[in-house]
Amino acid sequence: MPKCLINGKEVEFEAGKNIVEVAKKAGVEIPVFCYHPGLTVVAQCRMCYVEVGTPGKDGKVQMIPKLQTACSTAATEGMVVLTQSEKVKKGQKATMEFLLLNHPLDCPICDKSGECDLQDNSFKYGDAYMRHSEERRTYVDLDMGPVIQKNMNRCIHCTRCIRFGAEIAGIREMVAIQRGNNTEITTIDGKELQTEYAGNYADICPTGSLTLKDFRFHKRAWMLKKTPTICEGCSRGCNMEIHHQNGVLERCIPRENMEINRYWLCDEGRFHFRDIQNDDRVTTPMIAGAVSDWNAAIAKAKDALKGKKTAILIGTDLTTEEAKLIKETASQLAPGAQVFHFGTPGVNSVAQDGDADKLLKRKSKTANLNGIETLGIKPLESLSGVQAVMAFGGGRAVMPELSGVSPSNVVAAGVFFRSKSSQFAAVLPGLSFYEKSGSVTNFQNKEQKFVRAVASPKGCKPLSEILMTWVHQDKSGVA
Amino acid sequence: MSTEKLYLQHFNDEARSLDYYLQKMGGYKALKKAFSMSQDDIINEVKKSNLRGRGGAGFPTGMKWGFIPKQSPKPKYLVCNADESEPGTFKDRDIMRYTPHLLIEGMVIGGFAIGAHHGYIYIRGEYTREAKLLWAAIEEAYAKGFLGKNIQGSGFDFDLTVHRGAGAYICGEESALLNSLEGKRGEPRVKPPFPAQVGAFGGPTIVNNVESLSNIPFIIDKGGEWFSGLGKLERSGGTRLISVSGHVKKPGIIEVGAGSVTIRDIIYNHCGGVLGDRKLKAVIPGGSSAPVLTADEIDVIYDIEPLMKLGTMMGSAALMVVNDSYCVVKLLTRITKFYAHESCGQCTPCREGCRWMEDILHRIEHGHGKEKDLEMLLDIADNINGKTLCALGDAAAGPVMSFVKKFKSDFEAHIRGGKCPNA
Repeated sequence: MPKCLINGKEVEFEAGKNIVEVAKKAGVEIPVFCYHPGLTVVAQCRMCYVEVGTPGKDGKVQMIPKLQTACSTAATEGMVVLTQSEKVKKGQKATMEFLLLNHPLDCPICDKSGECDLQDNSFKYGDAYMRHSEERRTYVDLDMGPVIQKNMNRCIHCTRCIRFGAEIAGIREMVAIQRGNNTEITTIDGKELQTEYAGNYADICPTGSLTLKDFRFHKRAWMLKKTPTICEGCSRGCNMEIHHQNGVLERCIPRENMEINRYWLCDEGRFHFRDIQNDDRVTTPMIAGAVSDWNAAIAKAKDALKGKKTAILIGTDLTTEEAKLIKETASQLAPGAQVFHFGTPGVNSVAQDGDADKLLKRKSKTANLNGIETLGIKPLESLSGVQAVMAFGGGRAVMPELSGVSPSNVVAAGVFFRSKSSQFAAVLPGLSFYEKSGSVTNFQNKEQKFVRAVASPKGCKPLSEILMTWVHQDKSGVA
Repeated sequence: MSTEKLYLQHFNDEARSLDYYLQKMGGYKALKKAFSMSQDDIINEVKKSNLRGRGGAGFPTGMKWGFIPKQSPKPKYLVCNADESEPGTFKDRDIMRYTPHLLIEGMVIGGFAIGAHHGYIYIRGEYTREAKLLWAAIEEAYAKGFLGKNIQGSGFDFDLTVHRGAGAYICGEESALLNSLEGKRGEPRVKPPFPAQVGAFGGPTIVNNVESLSNIPFIIDKGGEWFSGLGKLERSGGTRLISVSGHVKKPGIIEVGAGSVTIRDIIYNHCGGVLGDRKLKAVIPGGSSAPVLTADEIDVIYDIEPLMKLGTMMGSAALMVVNDSYCVVKLLTRITKFYAHESCGQCTPCREGCRWMEDILHRIEHGHGKEKDLEMLLDIADNINGKTLCALGDAAAGPVMSFVKKFKSDFEAHIRGGKCPNA
């Protein structure tokens, strides 16, 4: 592998990589704004300056007199790179000064504070005083739709958003109009953002210019606890990080995984944690839509299934561990019951799954179709002839048509909603994705583990506990 | 001192027709000769001519043509940069008005030499009349078989299109020009790759100035060595069309052998002397991007290398003369306002810095300057110079640094006295 020198240290690198990436691997930070590893290089912000020298014909290193942008310079054999020489430091201070000329001092009221590239780079590489005393340029903000809040005064014109739209989301909706100091980032014809990946605009924006309306003014970034997790939205299993404080989920951001979701998340995956932050979620044991207690509810459930031809349905939105446990306990729940899996209508097996768009989304809207199919559980074909159903779901799996089964012969365990389950014999509330640990297998046969982020509502129990209570409850209805 | 003139005698309304070109200027003879030469021979002849790019950068044209790869999976293009937006420059306009066929013939020869079958003339939007005249000349050329398929039976096809710009100085920068030609925002590209590798529509492209291409028929007809001899300095051949404007009695275009005159010659011998017989205050030698010269510095030979040694540049050969009736602070403010207005806005130093310099100079000009302003202005210019994605930043910083340094007392008078010492 070729070698170069970064700040005097020898570093091996892959041919073709730019200096920002090579330095990162060697543990040397080069500040950037417009550069993003997932987008094309434009070398516009001029923050990633370095001094570069290459060996001449005589073998001696000639330093290039002008500063070079590290993002657009590929490392070559024998190259000498200086990332903190006096020249570089002056260039970095100059860029920071230029960027802050027109940037409003919004930090006290800006969502991005605490996780802002502009703040961080200014602190590390800029000056702590201001020489500029002219009037600042301002803009009138455009309403960009329900996902993204635009504040054009804060924009530093890095054009990451423009490139993301055109290159990744496949829609040229973010554009620059006017030119020079009056350049404005806006949408074509002032339309609302159309893409289903709009949340990523807020991730990639290095300032508080593009922020999430969903999270606006909720919490300071440094108050949040961050737990790595996996998205349960579809069979891709994108890597995310769920941010929470005091047991309340606040927002999701993507985690980098070059093989699964690279740097991105779709809006459905990013925001679906809101689905369970819903008063409609069942969080205490219910009997026929009325609040009850665990003993009574389990007893009623057993009663509903007794003596009937039963189907046990396992949602493909459950973890592999949960599914395995249900399968093994099935004969004790309802002797002679058949076990099937259910999830997304029309996508009954891995063979029927596929890409739903050109970027991340899959047809199966549950995370573990592959994992559960691998356990040998068959897909549900039809409920004809079935008299009672016990359905286990995680909140994403869609209940099948009940056909000849009366709702009063249906027992549900897991994440269910009152408006859809009020006629069921019993609902035994379980844990949502963020409230449990487990593993799921995505469509690429990758098994991914995740751990609990927050505690569940008091009345909900883990599936293992529900099943053990059921099995060991004696005939008098007392556990 | 009288070098043979190639252009000036034809700068009149009679000359633009194809008939005049064929009969009075030996038109399209060079093309016939070129078709009998190999591509390498043509390029070598241009190298021998020591023709330096006439757009402003002065890059040897023959060397540039040599950069085009022989084979290419994508079509190659020859693009003529007729954007002529450098303030003070108006020579290309007259070539297109009066001798358009020189340009057309030059482009066909150039296309043949580099293997391009499509040529574009990117002309600044403001040159509405010139675009019309060019189209008319192109129609004439097509009608007589000097453009199109199998030109003059040579087997070589070449199509030429005029593409109009829309009022952006930055589109004179070759990669911004290519972006604009492709229908995108006129913003310069990251280089490398250079246009000779990846240019218009992804194919290898040569971008040349109007005057550079118009010289090609002369070079092929009479030989590169002859052309080189018209210039008096080594490595700088041919005649130069110089646009002289400002405080001279006879402004206009003059044509001299390259390196055969000094700035003093131009002002006092060719252009009748300073307007009003007043004292000379300043000379901007190469379009507004060129660092300014004082009245003591006008004995320099007016050519690329001598001017570079003096810390300025020949640029687009646009000489602007200022006498002592005009305030240099106002002049610099106006120049800086131009660059701030024309900045494309991509890179931070130019987008933010040029506007900042304009704001400071505006304050100084109107008597609200502060003591620290001059030092800060020079530091800002230094932070822009050499730190931008394209040369517009350098073009904005150069004048600021040279004016403030060479006319310091004028600026200080504005700051301390709160008004212009000239007034």
